Amino acid sequence: MKTYAETEILDVIVIGSGAGGAPLAARLAQAGKSVLVLEAGPSFSPSRYTSDEIEAREIYWLHERLSGGRNPQPFGGNNSGTGVGGSLLHYGAFLPRPHAGDFRLHTETGRSVDWPFSYEELLPYIEEVEAFIGVSGPSNYPWDPTRRYAYAPPPANPAAMKMREACDAVGIRHADGPTALITRDFNQPHFGTRKACANCGACHQGCRNGAKSGADNTWLPLAVAHGAEIRSGCHVHTIETNQAGRVTGVVYTRNGENVRQRCERLVLSAGAVETARLLLHNELANSSGQVGENYMTHISTQIWGEIDEEVRPNRGYPSLTITEDMMRPKDADFAGGYLIQSLGMMPITWASNIARGSKRRGADLVRTLAGYNRSIGMGIHGDCMPSPENRVVLSDEKDALGLPKPLITHSYGPNELAMHAHASRLLTRMWEAIGAKDLRLLDRAAHMMGTARMGTESGSAVVTPYGQSFDIDNLWISDHSTFPSATAANPALTIMALSLRTADAMLKN
Amino acid sequence: MPLPSDYPEFLASDHLSGRTRDILVTRLEDDRLQAPRVLSPKAFAVLEAILPVLLPQEDILGNSPLNLAVRIDTALAGPRDGWRFAELPPDVTAWEQALLTLDDLAQAQHSMPFPALNASEIGQTLDELAEGRHGINAANRLTPEQMQKWSFDLRADAIECFLADARVQDALGISANLNGGDGVFQGFQTVDANERESFEPSPKFPSAKPRDKTFP
Ligand SMILES: Cc1cc2nc3c(=O)[nH]c(=O)nc-3n(C[C@H](O)[C@H](O)[C@H](O)COP(=O)(O)OP(=O)(O)OC[C@H]3O[C@@H](n4cnc5c(N)ncnc54)[C@H](O)[C@@H]3O)c2cc1C
Ligand code: SF4
Repeated sequence: MKTYAETEILDVIVIGSGAGGAPLAARLAQAGKSVLVLEAGPSFSPSRYTSDEIEAREIYWLHERLSGGRNPQPFGGNNSGTGVGGSLLHYGAFLPRPHAGDFRLHTETGRSVDWPFSYEELLPYIEEVEAFIGVSGPSNYPWDPTRRYAYAPPPANPAAMKMREACDAVGIRHADGPTALITRDFNQPHFGTRKACANCGACHQGCRNGAKSGADNTWLPLAVAHGAEIRSGCHVHTIETNQAGRVTGVVYTRNGENVRQRCERLVLSAGAVETARLLLHNELANSSGQVGENYMTHISTQIWGEIDEEVRPNRGYPSLTITEDMMRPKDADFAGGYLIQSLGMMPITWASNIARGSKRRGADLVRTLAGYNRSIGMGIHGDCMPSPENRVVLSDEKDALGLPKPLITHSYGPNELAMHAHASRLLTRMWEAIGAKDLRLLDRAAHMMGTARMGTESGSAVVTPYGQSFDIDNLWISDHSTFPSATAANPALTIMALSLRTADAMLKN
Repeated sequence: MPLPSDYPEFLASDHLSGRTRDILVTRLEDDRLQAPRVLSPKAFAVLEAILPVLLPQEDILGNSPLNLAVRIDTALAGPRDGWRFAELPPDVTAWEQALLTLDDLAQAQHSMPFPALNASEIGQTLDELAEGRHGINAANRLTPEQMQKWSFDLRADAIECFLADARVQDALGISANLNGGDGVFQGFQTVDANERESFEPSPKFPSAKPRDKTFP
């Protein structure tokens, strides 16, 4: 890997090496730009990842976040990731495309907001991402028969099989979902051999054989091959500007030392909490007053139940079966929709969801835990609207680097509550239809979006539809903080597609 | 180095990575420490009293239960998982204050320290905690709303410490850590229901077994 001197002025510095930062870094390096990616976390060796869920926390973002509101998110295993590769190191690799209608929900319903461009405009980038990182999926995707996936799906575990039965029982369609993993060995250019998925089930603890398509085994090696430097262990805290208000560089802490590095252009890809935190702390790019505002999640209601079979929910790719039939349910009393996926899960993640989602105790709790090997789940991802109630602000407490800790406020509004209620009824009906017992509904939210939204007007958005700050022309944002609304789909594919689109705009700019 | 004979058999499996084995073996020794590191003796005594009612271990581990209170205290002394409820003070302070709140309330309502309460009184306390009906409005103590939030942390930490133990995983027949060794990363050959692979532990606790009698 090429390294740049601390005295050099880079064409581009990218803060964060995940879904938002990595594709863009590769694209800009390929175009001949000098690119430095500053990543707060370490560079991990995949062979050392551990399925032990306590120690696997090393790949989570562990700088304390304060969680408030009526629906405080228990971040824990749901938190952002850290390390070279970002949250893709521990993401679940479920990779549905966003629903075209979710980009114009306001036009459709008069509620939420439209995205400043159409799904069709993003589609070429979506296809490029899928082709480059490797995605498995069915040969015929019921909700989009034109779509093709390069890899066959991994084998269906019992939760996936039972969800198929349950869909049949209530008359909704189902398919193997699009998953960001490969099911035959592949020699990834500039990286090396990625092995086929071994059905190990520990996607959330880090993939040990390269099967899962992340940034560390795809975009980042491509970036490095074209001269980019990925500098790990560098926590950026200061963004420096000149008298004209343009960014001149950043200061980061590495091994306790402060280092200044200058650049022509800066890209923030630190994720929806950290990008907002950096801008708020440095009091930048906020003439709209929208930095940190409109924090969003996905409504991620889950149902769990037991069946009289030994299913071992830790085995196999965790969440294979999908239905998109609830993207616009006919009986909906809410705007937007949700997708449903089957769920296997590692035991501690599963149990702590139960611990937080029920009041069971004593023998009842022990029996529930002992039922792990017979447990099957399903979960939804539902669209979430921007709301002035939900935001990231700086708290009064400081972290070890002296930066204010972020306070995240999250409450469901009426639309989210109605969607959760709809999904709870349907999930219950589905699991009852296949005879699952001891049903438990978990009211939870996942993912994080918003906080630096894109839009066409500088008064109501932080960045343009291409991710460029309205206030500072050499500052760009490429991560899930630019989402105007959540959309129902799990976000990584959209983030990566937007990242390439932003890179193209930077090259034209 | 051979493992002691009373350690779960699965720890010797080549489907377990070396690093994961080391983590699990080290954890098995964690109980040796008897005194709390971060909680005061009074708060620790409350924790010791509440855990057997929240999570009785005999059915799973017979008469050699884990010292869960020590494990939780040790976990509190180490790195935490990157978040906390905004309404609660930092974790160690929250736990100390929550446990002392329980003790104060036991004194006020039953005229005895919390550890002297019987199991049904402690059980009732747990229910009231979860419903947000148990707390104190006073300095260095937690309100009912705060106690409710803390009670979710209590439940989650207790269960995490419990399931992280190799003996518990073995008793429940959990194969999550047997997902691949270092030399060969085997993963799982089958993910089908009722198809246990030879290296996967079978459940030893009756209610962890399938109810279908035809399954061996
Ligand atoms: C448990 C879990 C499962 C998920 N499963 C799925 C899934 O199945 N499908 C899906 O599509 N999405 C999934 N997601 C969501 C998805 O992983 C994220 O939305 C996505 O990876 C976010 O990408 P990002 O680039 O915006 O941010 P991140 O990937 O979070 O990148 C931020 C990076 O910036 C670094 N950083 C932050 N601040 C600084 C700083 N000040 N200085 C230097 N570096 C910094 C961080 O260390 C991190 O590496 C999941 C998320 C979680 C937590
Ligand atoms: S299930 Fe497959 S993709 Fe997921 S971590 Fe295991 S080998 Fe990797």
